[in-house]
Amino acid sequence: MGGVEPLATAWPYGATSSELKKRVEEARVLAVGAGGIGCELLKTLALSGFKHIEVIDMDTIETSNLNRQFLFRKRHVGHSKALVAAEAVRAMRPGIEVKAYQGNVKERQYDVDFFRRFDCVLNGLDNLEARRHVNRLCLAAGVPLVESGTAGYLGQVSVHIKGRTECFECQPKPAPKTFPVCTLRNTPDKPIHCVVWAKEMLFPLLFGAPEASDLNDGAAAEKEGEDSSAAGTADDPSFYKRQDGESSRQYAERVFRQQYGAKIEELRGMEDLWRNRPAPQPLDLDSLLQQAQGQANGSSASGGSSTASGGSACKALGLADAHAVWTVPQNAALFLQAAQQFLDDRPDEIGAAQFDKDDTLAVEFVTAAANLRAACYGIPMQSLFDTKGMAGNIIHAIATTNAIVSGLIVLEALKLLAGAPEACQTSFLHQQVSGSKRLVSRMAAPEPSPACMVCGTASVQLALNTNTWTLQQLVDKVLKGRLALIAPSITCGNFTYEEGEGLEEDEVEFYRGLLSRPLSQLPGGGLAHGSMLEVGDQEQHFKAQLIISHREDWDEEQHPEGFELSGSLPAAQAAPPAAAAPAAEAVAAGEPAAGVRGGSSAAAAPAAPAGKVALQETDDGIVLLSSDEEGDATEAAVPAAAAGKGKRKAPEATEAEDGEAKKARVEAAADDVVDLLDDD
Amino acid sequence: MAGVARSRLAEERKAWRKDKPFGFHARPETLENGETNLMRWKCFIPGKEGTIWEGGFYPLTMEFTEDYPAKPPKCKLPEKFFHPNIYPSGTVCLSILNEDEGWRPSITVKQILLGIQELLDTPNPLSPAQSDAFVMFQQRREEYKKWVRQEAAKYPPPV
Repeated sequence: MGGVEPLATAWPYGATSSELKKRVEEARVLAVGAGGIGCELLKTLALSGFKHIEVIDMDTIETSNLNRQFLFRKRHVGHSKALVAAEAVRAMRPGIEVKAYQGNVKERQYDVDFFRRFDCVLNGLDNLEARRHVNRLCLAAGVPLVESGTAGYLGQVSVHIKGRTECFECQPKPAPKTFPVCTLRNTPDKPIHCVVWAKEMLFPLLFGAPEASDLNDGAAAEKEGEDSSAAGTADDPSFYKRQDGESSRQYAERVFRQQYGAKIEELRGMEDLWRNRPAPQPLDLDSLLQQAQGQANGSSASGGSSTASGGSACKALGLADAHAVWTVPQNAALFLQAAQQFLDDRPDEIGAAQFDKDDTLAVEFVTAAANLRAACYGIPMQSLFDTKGMAGNIIHAIATTNAIVSGLIVLEALKLLAGAPEACQTSFLHQQVSGSKRLVSRMAAPEPSPACMVCGTASVQLALNTNTWTLQQLVDKVLKGRLALIAPSITCGNFTYEEGEGLEEDEVEFYRGLLSRPLSQLPGGGLAHGSMLEVGDQEQHFKAQLIISHREDWDEEQHPEGFELSGSLPAAQAAPPAAAAPAAEAVAAGEPAAGVRGGSSAAAAPAAPAGKVALQETDDGIVLLSSDEEGDATEAAVPAAAAGKGKRKAPEATEAEDGEAKKARVEAAADDVVDLLDDD
Repeated sequence: MAGVARSRLAEERKAWRKDKPFGFHARPETLENGETNLMRWKCFIPGKEGTIWEGGFYPLTMEFTEDYPAKPPKCKLPEKFFHPNIYPSGTVCLSILNEDEGWRPSITVKQILLGIQELLDTPNPLSPAQSDAFVMFQQRREEYKKWVRQEAAKYPPPV
């Protein structure tokens, strides 16, 4: 895509040209996700003139989507988002071609070849994992990606072009907040600490898999400390099992007294902890229940009847307002009622239950449990609504934000199609006017980070027969023979192979045992078509990604060794368009971003070392070397791939090319400045 | 396909193979079917020479998430491990393993293992994680030492 020719009229003036209109009509775009952003995006694409759209989404439509995902109606609930959205867009604009896939973008069938068919990929995803995955596939396929996200009023759109702008993973993403066990168990000081404690520690202990809970003290009291007699019974592992003949109510009360009574007392005993913070106060269940009785006054809140409440403990207790913060006695009653209902009504789930934010009873239990803990520690209590939001990490979505973001996505896509990647921008939507007095601020898309572990890796395609090739052959012929590795390591999913120094004897033995196996029979499901191998070297600075394609028919004349190595490289600069060279019978070379300033690598190294090697630059910014002598091709290809890191000799041509690259970089920088000025 | 976490772990693995402290073991878990789990490392930490922990080789599991190295790995010793700062579940409570305190993405596997070795002989009385070892450590030091020595004998060198 680095090879999209600029419009006759440069961006932004060419935006309204008939030339761009035609390109838009011919472009193939993939929309990943047909949810909040996806629905808006599909609509905007259709109305902007796109005619070949494909959309993928694994989800089905839920009632709660209807407030903002306007392509869906109530009758669609339960149907595939992708299919219904495609249908709606087709109705909007006859003659449009919309292909829908109901599936997970991470499935194997959506491989590099699938992605390669598109001119650009547009993300409207809701999770980091899928975003990372699509980012890597786009990098491997060399297809530009427009990434987006919204959270309430906030939104962001960014453009990721391999070798030109930073990839989605160049900047570390703020990971979802987790809390240290120590804080959760002993010294919570925020409502969220109590919610997480209730959801991830207490809930699994009672209803789920107790071994997964860090609240499970195991049999710590097995040791014979004399003064642990009180704690001794408490720490018995069987404590959280319901005992024979114990009613659900008795069990719930026992857990209550343990968690909010004995445990808190025990913690108070650890005086060192409370030097700089107030010690927690235990709760007395009996007095709380008396008060609850008084407060309930008239409602059927005595706790007992768990039937006819429709699975809601609040209903049984008459606690109707989810936005109200209930009193401590009310929370105590709710704790017992919810636990009791869970135990009585859902016996099959006990031992394996998992917290689900859409499970009313689970949310009620967690609300009560978290609030009671908050009460012990003098932390403000929360309403059920707020607790649910915190426990389920819910951010309330706003349709307008999605619509604005979708517009920005399409705008960036147009720039890509106009052959104006230098005009691409990262946009941010703010809740309030920012320093620049704007609700939408924009900046030039940043350059790739040379240290990025994802896009800073060379990527090479390797075609061979995975059924007949053994690991030994792969290591000897390709990794050592062609890529000149010394002590190669390979990882691919759950498969690992290593050699060289620093291995234990049993590891050497283990890896040796794998060598004779065909690639398709290796552990972890085998290496097959589409497998992406991370290849490294224990002795050298070398990292590359090898994408396997399985091929059975080999012409012995053309490929006596039965494999073919070809591909593109990450930091390749967008080269001026040139006649495309046939990719077959070609070995690619270039420099990984590591050690080279991104965007400046000047992939073309047109001077060939001695031997019959010809280099050619294609419109993909790929350097092709064709050679009838393997050794020469290797000489040329490999040093460049190692980015001049000591052990390998870089051909002088690369050095010579540097001046050109610098010039290009300066020009690019100048463009950035203009962009910024334009924006202000 | 490798993400940031896996790429970093591959680098950690490479660095470890080049330079591992004496007596320590650390490697990604290998399953019976020959699969390797790069996200879960099996380690052994030797008790420091000249301390009551000497002679023991303490098995430790490091569990990494996709958010590593933004987040620290979870480190677990055997359940019920006797130490004031080890939870009954075996989870190690140590500042450098705490996202809000000492954890930095630049901390290496080697530094973590050395840190835990250090923690064994220098418990932190300000963050008790189990009552038995904590109380004994605070109140009956001699008995504590004896107990630790008995524990050390239970963890012979790995074969």
